[in-house]
Amino acid sequence: MAARPSAGPPPESIETRLAARVDTFIQLTLNGLTLGSVYALIALGYTLVYGILKLLNFAHGDVVTVGAFIGFGMLQLLGGSTDPVVPVWLLLLLISATAMAGCAALGVAIERFAYRPLRDAPRIAPLISALGVSFFLAYSLQLLFGSEQRDYDAFSMDNGALFFKGFSIGAVHIPLLRILVICAAFALMVVLWFLVNKTRTGKAMKATSFDREAAAMMGIDVDRVIVFAFVLGSALAGAAGVLSALRVPTYPSAGFITGLKGFTAAVIGGIGSIPGAMAGGLILGLAEAYTQGYISTKWSDLAVFVILILIMLFRPQGLFGRPDITKV
Amino acid sequence: MNKRGGLVIALVVIVAAAFASTAGAGSSTADRIAAVNCSGTIKLPLLTPLTGGGGPIGNEQLSWAKYAAKSLGPKLKLKVQIVGGDTPVEKGPGEAQKVAQKFISDSQVAAVLGPATSGGVASASKSLAKAGLLHISPSATDSALAAGPKGKRTASPVAFYRVVGGDYVQGPTDANYMVSALKAKKVVIVDFQEPYSVGLANAAQAVLKAKGVDVTRLSTSVDTTDYSSLVTKVPNDANVVFFPTQQPEDAQTFGQQLLEQGKRATMFGADGTNNPAAFKLPGSYVSNFAPDISGIKGNAARIAGWKKDNPKASLGSFGPPTYLATQVEMMAIAKACKAGGGSIKNRVSVLKYIRGIVVPNSILGGTFRFSKSNNEPVNPKFYIFQIQKNGSYKLVN
Repeated sequence: MAARPSAGPPPESIETRLAARVDTFIQLTLNGLTLGSVYALIALGYTLVYGILKLLNFAHGDVVTVGAFIGFGMLQLLGGSTDPVVPVWLLLLLISATAMAGCAALGVAIERFAYRPLRDAPRIAPLISALGVSFFLAYSLQLLFGSEQRDYDAFSMDNGALFFKGFSIGAVHIPLLRILVICAAFALMVVLWFLVNKTRTGKAMKATSFDREAAAMMGIDVDRVIVFAFVLGSALAGAAGVLSALRVPTYPSAGFITGLKGFTAAVIGGIGSIPGAMAGGLILGLAEAYTQGYISTKWSDLAVFVILILIMLFRPQGLFGRPDITKV
Repeated sequence: MNKRGGLVIALVVIVAAAFASTAGAGSSTADRIAAVNCSGTIKLPLLTPLTGGGGPIGNEQLSWAKYAAKSLGPKLKLKVQIVGGDTPVEKGPGEAQKVAQKFISDSQVAAVLGPATSGGVASASKSLAKAGLLHISPSATDSALAAGPKGKRTASPVAFYRVVGGDYVQGPTDANYMVSALKAKKVVIVDFQEPYSVGLANAAQAVLKAKGVDVTRLSTSVDTTDYSSLVTKVPNDANVVFFPTQQPEDAQTFGQQLLEQGKRATMFGADGTNNPAAFKLPGSYVSNFAPDISGIKGNAARIAGWKKDNPKASLGSFGPPTYLATQVEMMAIAKACKAGGGSIKNRVSVLKYIRGIVVPNSILGGTFRFSKSNNEPVNPKFYIFQIQKNGSYKLVN
């Protein structure tokens, strides 16, 4: 006698399974875009400084963490996430603006005291100085504020509105916080693009980036341009710090891995190229999300660095970079 | 003597010195440490994460160990100094081994508290045992670290004890609660690829599978901060996510991201997430080896005394077992001192007395003693708490 089939849940139809897969893809894309937007902002800081000074500012990741800590301090001053003294939109605006201003000031200080004295030194000297600044910032944060994680607790803001409000695509909920992170990052990138391409200072930056000595001979105040690049890059780092900390807690040594990811994004896009940094950040974020979602969480960092190696092997100047031509 | 001859002699001396030092270390480090004078200050190092994500828990443990040393010292005629040995979770289990080496060579150290984490014990225990150092963990729960429930000794050296039960108790307690109280049919288990997490996840998974629960196992690393993509892999119809991490903030982030993605599974942490300041998602659960000690007879004075020394700290569940571990070690040291006529001849002598220690009216409730057949406490239990709307933990089992 044939065995009676066991009474289990009815098998899912092909349509249902397909819809679930599409939903997963949309969700992973959203995860990747959120992550990638923050990486792109960080990558822009690397690229701005490298474009002008040919310096890898390894302290940039720690500037991001400082931004997150400044934002956290401002949040506490304004009453914290559960009982803020101002509306949530203003709260977010104020903590972002403070973090950006604080980081911009920090960027100026770093340039003035750690890099400017070494501008004419061999290239290894400012690189070592950058590493020193990185350690200095991370350990200063730890000494000043302890090593505990700092959580913005955005979940408690306005009774969870940032998490629960938003819109849906299929079964995927797009929360307000993610929309905010992605839109804020893109808005900042547009502002940067405008500043670099449509203003006199931006044009001076481009000229300095092309040939620093010739730009100086044309009457461009190179020192001022360099400081401006640090101001812009560090302000973006401050914004990235706040946008990231709104979603995941931060801690003093977080800058190392954040910086590494931002740097990788800049290299993938072509270090020195602004569109490249944006694209590199998004590629990196999406690669991480898809690897975690479709392969394994354990493999995501490996995937990121495999992409980096492949780019270095087949297109060393990065996706949007131009190859260096040396006159012989 | 010519230059070459001198060089050869110098080389021979160096090689001989190296041989002598390694031979000494290999035979018995314990014997080479000078006797501990009981009338002087005796050091008890506590190996626990004092910085990083696990910092709040480690500092809670340190405060209770210090309070135990201060309050019990005069009664036991001992002057004990608790020394913190920082083993941040983020630096991996190997950090405990490095920190342990420093204390092994300190002749004032008579015993060690900790390591606090299972990975730390796995890494440092052999060296500590070789040095004859009794080490009692107040929080390491990996079943593989000590003899199991049937009294069968495992790989653990005999110098290691713990005052709390292992995951062979915690895993089934948690799993049974998920099935019986939460009626879970589909459970997602996330492990962090380190001994504590994997051990506990395995223990719970075995029971869940035996009870016919559909288990999905996910894995990530301790340095993950954004769990979005892992959350995406949690099936929509999962009832419970079991999240045994040592960083309670991560459980909070994961729980928030679950809600963000519209997933209604209940978060279930373990002893590593038992921290009301960091993991406060209402409706979630945590388990722990210690009950709420405030209702236990005789604890009012202990809590008041500790509060006086730590006015800003709130009562957690990692501190009291540390108090107990310190108490047990101090009692063993006092016995060794008495037997040695005012000094501990060698560290191994402290180990002789540990099994005979009985603590009536212990801080965790009832009488505490170690099992006669293994290095575990008698009748260990685990307790389950539900997180309330105000973030407080309510005992539910």
